[in-house]
Amino acid sequence: MLYDLIPHIINGLALGLLFALLALGFMLIIGVMEVINLAHGSLFALGAYVALAVMVPDGGLPYAFMEPYYALPDVPRYVIALIVGPLVVAVVGAGLELCLRRTYGQDPLYGLLLTFGAALVLEEGIREIWGSSEYYLPIPRGISGGFIAGDLIYSTYRIYAAIFAAAMIGLLWLFLNRTPYGAIIKAGAHDGEMVRALGHNLSRLRLFVFAFGAALAAIAGIIMAPIWGIRPVVGVDAVVPAFVVIVLGGVGSFWGAVSAGLLVGLVVGLTAAFATDWSLLSMYLLLLAVVTFRSRGLAGKASVLES
Amino acid sequence: MTLPAMQYDRRETTAWITRPILVMAVVFATLPLWIETVGLYQYLGVEVLIWIVFALGFNLLLGYTGLPSFGHGAFFGIGAYAFGLAQFEVWANLWFCLAAAIVVTGAFGAVTALFLAHRRGIYFALMSIAFGQIFYFIASKWTDVTKGEDGLLNIARLPADFGVAEVSIQSNTALYYFCYAVMMVLIVLLWRLTNSPFGRTLRAIKQNETRVAFIGYPVRLYKWAAFTLSCGIAGLAGGLFAMAQEGAYINIMSLQWSGTIVLIVLIGGGFVSFWGPVLGVILYFVARDILGAYTEAWLLWFGLMFVVLVMFKPDGIAGMWRGWVAPRLRGRGATTPAPRPAESRS
Repeated sequence: MLYDLIPHIINGLALGLLFALLALGFMLIIGVMEVINLAHGSLFALGAYVALAVMVPDGGLPYAFMEPYYALPDVPRYVIALIVGPLVVAVVGAGLELCLRRTYGQDPLYGLLLTFGAALVLEEGIREIWGSSEYYLPIPRGISGGFIAGDLIYSTYRIYAAIFAAAMIGLLWLFLNRTPYGAIIKAGAHDGEMVRALGHNLSRLRLFVFAFGAALAAIAGIIMAPIWGIRPVVGVDAVVPAFVVIVLGGVGSFWGAVSAGLLVGLVVGLTAAFATDWSLLSMYLLLLAVVTFRSRGLAGKASVLES
Repeated sequence: MTLPAMQYDRRETTAWITRPILVMAVVFATLPLWIETVGLYQYLGVEVLIWIVFALGFNLLLGYTGLPSFGHGAFFGIGAYAFGLAQFEVWANLWFCLAAAIVVTGAFGAVTALFLAHRRGIYFALMSIAFGQIFYFIASKWTDVTKGEDGLLNIARLPADFGVAEVSIQSNTALYYFCYAVMMVLIVLLWRLTNSPFGRTLRAIKQNETRVAFIGYPVRLYKWAAFTLSCGIAGLAGGLFAMAQEGAYINIMSLQWSGTIVLIVLIGGGFVSFWGPVLGVILYFVARDILGAYTEAWLLWFGLMFVVLVMFKPDGIAGMWRGWVAPRLRGRGATTPAPRPAESRS
């Protein structure tokens, strides 16, 4: 019984690492701007759509003149998608941050309403360009398909997704903890005014962090796309696990977010093992359970979310 | 760090019927006579009235209590399904079915509110999204009851039985006047409610929940009651909408519709005015029919307008009216303009 569950546990871990990646971007934005970015899921979806346009000729963009480009083998196109997607989304995220500036220092409800409006605008924009139908992101042959070990079938892509997400999380940790830029971001999350007093440009820091968080969401979106499929409404389904992870792990805790991400991913992955239709529902139920019983997270610390 | 306040003249808040209520009564009573001459159609009037009911109920939460519910479309949908199921399964009587829509939705709202009443801000917002999505999921998967993606079809516009006489509301015009009557009654009741001690407490909670709790009010009970009441009204609107559409469909429970009502109420100026939701609904439907004639993507433009309003003028249309038009109409110093959020910027 437990042995049969191993593939599902691996799926759950892949999901969890992607949730953690998504949530870490979300957390950086909360930390530096004290804004709950309800559009984070839409940025996640946008990343997947941009990757789709880069990957396939009929991915929504009528680029007839790019025919020679689409003749390239799929591996370089996939790598380009992984670079272009986050860059485009980072620009969109930077634009959103510029809009958000007017709400800093006001009631947090305004930031919430603004990002909620932005989420709807992004979703409508996606519908406008790509339509409402569901797409699947093609992946290079090397990481698609499955393999058999023992007498169980494993999906190669899920293992690739888990390794990729884990590598990204590792790089992010190195960036935040081993570079001077990371130090400034962490200081900005701790005390923005003090960072400004030390001569750093706080506005530029906020712009950069928002764009960076958006790019992380896009990467998670691109990696998740072959697992979840690409739909305009996927944004909502992505912002919820990000939020659950942040609440459980505690705002500002890097490894808290990673372990909470793994926990949430396992719950969703194992629900999918028993009732595929209800795996998304389990995420919402988890949110209710977490906020109702454990709104201060596993570590039990108060956070800026409560303001 | 507070939200703008509702401010009304004392002469208005103690009256049952005020000037804006009379204007509403006259404008909407005559609407079927002139709506076609301005190039629109009768059914639009029905939709506008139903959405006004929904929006006024929603503003009890957003504008009066300061609670951003992003899952309210679910309750609108529950009302529509409850109306249809009551009609098919129990008793095809208009009053009974409408009452069922209100009570069932109110009951769902009451249970939901148990989880939400002690939350505020971001927790409240995300919990409301979660509940909205859960109800949406259940409605779309529980096909035995809701017929899933197909929706409940053939919901009848039941005749209004007044004991001595039965009035058919089969035609769009008749249904319009029925909805008109419902809306006017609701407006007067809500106007009294929002200016009662209960309504004033809700407004105080919006301004400073902690302080209201310290004074000794049972804040959670008030928030629970506001949520339940708001859901009951959403259920009423949903029931009327099921009649108007002659069916109940799953899409009205989706997050997109829940978002639409937030957009409508805020653009109209629900934060500062009782009448904000009404203005928002009118603007929304005019925009839908005029912008919609030119571009499929009109909701995108409407959303962008919302984003711009949140940035520059979160008081919405009602706020603009108060700030710029009303003082000029009434001459100098007759009104105090509502405090702008800019003044409270830290």
